[in-house]
Amino acid sequence: MKSQSLISSFHPANEPDTLDSAERAQIDASTRGPVLLFFGSAIFWLLIGSLLGLISAWKMTHPSFLDGSAWLTFGRLRPAHLNAVIYGWASAAGIGVGIWLMARLCRVVLMHSKLLISAAIFWNLGVLVGILGILAGDSRSIEWLEFPGYATPILFISYAFIGIWTIIMFRFRKPGHVYVSQWYLFAAFLWFPWLYATANILLIWQPVQGSAQAAINWWFAHNVLGLWFTPIGLASAYYMIPKVIGRPIHSYYLSILGFWSLALFYSWNGMHHLIGGPFPAWMVSASVVASVMMFIPVVTVAINHHMTMRGNFGALKWSPTLRFTVFGAMTYTLVSLQGTSMAIPSWNTFIHFTDHTIGHAHLGLYGFFSMMMFGAMYYIVPRLVGWEWPSATMIRWHFWLAAIGISIMVIALTLGGILQGFAFYDPAVSFRTSLDLATPFRIVRGLSGFLLLAAHIVFAILFTQMLLKLGQPKDGPALFAKPSETDKEVAAV
Amino acid sequence: MTAGFLLLVGGLIFLSGSALFAFYWAVKDGQLNNLSQAAQTIFDQDEPVGTPTDRFPPKNRS
Repeated sequence: MKSQSLISSFHPANEPDTLDSAERAQIDASTRGPVLLFFGSAIFWLLIGSLLGLISAWKMTHPSFLDGSAWLTFGRLRPAHLNAVIYGWASAAGIGVGIWLMARLCRVVLMHSKLLISAAIFWNLGVLVGILGILAGDSRSIEWLEFPGYATPILFISYAFIGIWTIIMFRFRKPGHVYVSQWYLFAAFLWFPWLYATANILLIWQPVQGSAQAAINWWFAHNVLGLWFTPIGLASAYYMIPKVIGRPIHSYYLSILGFWSLALFYSWNGMHHLIGGPFPAWMVSASVVASVMMFIPVVTVAINHHMTMRGNFGALKWSPTLRFTVFGAMTYTLVSLQGTSMAIPSWNTFIHFTDHTIGHAHLGLYGFFSMMMFGAMYYIVPRLVGWEWPSATMIRWHFWLAAIGISIMVIALTLGGILQGFAFYDPAVSFRTSLDLATPFRIVRGLSGFLLLAAHIVFAILFTQMLLKLGQPKDGPALFAKPSETDKEVAAV
Repeated sequence: MTAGFLLLVGGLIFLSGSALFAFYWAVKDGQLNNLSQAAQTIFDQDEPVGTPTDRFPPKNRS
C-alpha cells in the first residue's frame, strides 16, 4: 500500500485510493450475515416486546385481564416487556447498525464474521433465557437488570465478543480520518461491557448493601441510555443525514465538541433519579449539575443536524431513511431537554413517581432511538440483500403508525403524569383520586400501543419480504416520491 | 469482596485512562486538524458531495 499524507486522505476527491462502488458493495456484502442476523432477531424481539408492553398497559387499567396465570401477572410482564425491547430489540438493532457502519467507516471488509455470528447467537440465547426467567418468576427486581443471574453471563460473552471485534476492526482500518460516527461507536462498544460487568458484579454476584444498590442501579440504567443507545443513535444520524442528502455535516467542530462533552458529562447523570432519596447531597447535586451541562452536547447535535438539513427538508418527502432519522434526531433534542428539566429538583418533586417518567422513557427509546434504527435499516438492508424494499406505501404506513402512535403515547403519559404529580403533592387529594385521574390517560396509552404494534407488524412483513426477495424487482429505490429537480439543486449547493 | 473491588477500581482507572489516551491520540495524530475537510470523508468519487444516496446500488456491482 502506498503511503499517503493525512491531508491527502482528507481530500477524497484528489485521492485515487478511495472507495469505489465495487469496493463499497464488497464491504457491505461482507457484513451481510452478522448484520442480518442481528436485525432479524431484533425485529422478532420487537414484536414480542410490543405485545408484552401492550398486555402490561392493558392490565394497568383492566386488572382482571389475563389474570389466570402467574406467568402473566403485571409484575412479570412489565419487566419482560422492558428487557425484551431494551436488550432483544434496541440493543440488537444498534449492534447491527454499528457493525455495518464500523465496516464502512473503517473502509475494510468485515473480519472475523464468525465472532459476530457467535455473538448474535449468544445474544439471543441470553435474551431468551432472561425473558423466560423473568416470566417464570426469577426477576431480580432491579430495574433494567431484571434478567436472572444465569442469563447475564451469556449476554456478557456476547458484549465482550463485539468489543473485541470493534478493536480489531479499528486496528485494521484504512488510513485516514476517523469519522465522528466511529468515535461514538467505538465508545459505545467499549463502554457498555464495562458498565454491564460492573453493575452485575456489584448488584448480582457480590451485592452491595442498602441504598448503595439504588445508586449503582441508576448509574447503570442511565448510562445504558447515555453511553450505549445515545452514541449508537447519534453515530447513525451523523452518517445517514449527510450521506442521504449528499452534503457534509454543517460543523464538524461542533460534532467533535458534542462527542467529548457527552463523554465527560453523561456518566454523571444517573443520580438525578434519586433526588429526595437517602443519599449524600453532593452525589445528587453533582448529578443535577451534570444533567444541566448535557445542554452542551445536546445543543451541538441539534444545531448541527438542523443546519445540515436546512434547505434540504424537501428530501423528507422522498427518503424513508431520512424521514425516520430526522424524526429521531428532532426527538433526541426534545427528549434530552425534557430530561434536563426533569433533573431540576423543584420540578422533579412533582413528576417523580408519575407516568411523566414513563412517557420520557418511551420518547427516548422509541421516538429517538428506535426511529433512528428504523431509518438506518431502511438504508442498510437493500445494500445487504441486493433487493429493494417492495412497497413505499407500506414504509409510509410504518412511519405514520409509529410516529402517531408514539406521539399519542408520550402526550397522554406526560399530561396524565403532570396531573397525577400535582394531585400527589396536594394533601387534600386522596391517593385514590390521584390514581383515578391518570386512568383515562392510561387507556389512551394502551390504545396507542396498538398503533405501534401495527407499525411493527408492517415492518416485520417488509423485512421478511426483503430476506425472501419477494415482490417485483425494481431498478430504483423505494422512495416515497420522485426527488424533484429543485431538491437536487438545493442538495448540490 | 476485596478482589472484586480491586477489579472494579482497576477497570475504572483503565477506562478513564483509555478515554484520556484516546483524546491525546486524536490530537497528536492530527485528527482534529482541518475539521472542515474531515466532514467530507464519508463522500468519495462515486458518491460525491451533492448526490443524494438513498437509492439502490447499481445492478452491475461485483
